[in-house]
Amino acid sequence: MTASNDDDRIARAGEYALRVLSPAEEAAARAEAARDPVFGAEVDRWNDQLSHMADGIAPVQPSASLWPRILAATGGAANDNAVTFWRRWAIGSTGLLAASLAAVAIMIATPAPAPDPATTPVAGSITRVATLKLDNGVTALTLAYDSATGELYLAPTREMEGDTRIPHLWLVLPNEGGVQLVGAIDGHDTSRHNLEGVIVGQATEAIAVAVSMEEPGHTPNPDRPDGPVVAEGEFQPL
Amino acid sequence: MTAVFDRDALSEALGQTGQGDRAAFRRVYEATSAKLMGVCLRILSDRQLAEDVMQEIYLTVWNKAASFDPGRASPITWLVTIARNRSIDRLRSGAIARNSVPVDAAYDLADGAPSALDHIELADDAGRLGVCLDELDEKVSRVIRTAFFEGVTYEVLAQREETPLGTMKSWIRRGLLKLRSCLEQ
Repeated sequence: MTASNDDDRIARAGEYALRVLSPAEEAAARAEAARDPVFGAEVDRWNDQLSHMADGIAPVQPSASLWPRILAATGGAANDNAVTFWRRWAIGSTGLLAASLAAVAIMIATPAPAPDPATTPVAGSITRVATLKLDNGVTALTLAYDSATGELYLAPTREMEGDTRIPHLWLVLPNEGGVQLVGAIDGHDTSRHNLEGVIVGQATEAIAVAVSMEEPGHTPNPDRPDGPVVAEGEFQPL
Repeated sequence: MTAVFDRDALSEALGQTGQGDRAAFRRVYEATSAKLMGVCLRILSDRQLAEDVMQEIYLTVWNKAASFDPGRASPITWLVTIARNRSIDRLRSGAIARNSVPVDAAYDLADGAPSALDHIELADDAGRLGVCLDELDEKVSRVIRTAFFEGVTYEVLAQREETPLGTMKSWIRRGLLKLRSCLEQ
């Protein structure tokens, strides 16, 4: 091996690690790294050396909802003290009361498109409300629950439109009680549900609600979502 | 609050993660997520996008931790390389509207949150890299830093610098060889 060949290999490995190559060149270099251990080791060496440029980048704390999303995506929520994470994630969403009240006030004053009087909640009977927001702060769903009748009213915004996955609604229970699946919901139109059985009480006691996105045809276990949690919001009394 | 990890402890936790140990996986996340979030945010300049990529990164860590070889790379290098590459992949996967951030402002996006990695970075190595980059021609040093922090290709760099593509390649290839020579002195 000549010095010139060595230099060429070092430079090619460096430009591959730096990610300056065109897509075609990058694919060729990736293949070379996979088949030639000498070139692959050179790439590793550059990654090691260049990565120190990132040492000066100050850390930024990700949002509290990220870990539950990761954990859920690995299918491990039930095995890793999920309750703690769900609670931490739920408690992190403070300050939603004003938004929830405003949203429901608007919802009642100007019902959703083509309102059906039979499905529009009566202001006096609503006892709990929640505004579920995406991580970027955009509202995905407004929820109202009448604990006296078990009636649940859902008003999604347009944020879930176009998603081929099926939104599922979850209750976050108090006292580290875990999470409880309510069921699949309509992510496009307003809907009304009548809860029955033990879930009526659970919905009355729940501290927060969340939406996960599940693959079509798949129903997750009632105590943990399989798909990513995309929206959440605290329950507030009205 | 994150735990203080040294390099060996992080390597061990990664090894345990590779065996399906979720508690170890959580330790890896708590020790490294702020650092990797800083890297993602630096490249993507969008918090929501950065968190989406962070989810992919840690799924990769979960799935690939068994292949981590502490004899080939430090755990931080391995993780930062995954974070940077995933961020660049996302940057190039679609038309992400992104304002170019001057390299001089490379550190302005971070919030200075504490990281367990603050305790285990090899400051001497970082310092040495900085010294060697500073020894390069100013424009060469600048484009190498831009390539690293913004994940842009030769073609984009040439356009930005209003320089022929061949000239840009020559700058960076020669710069990398000088950098390697300096780093190994």
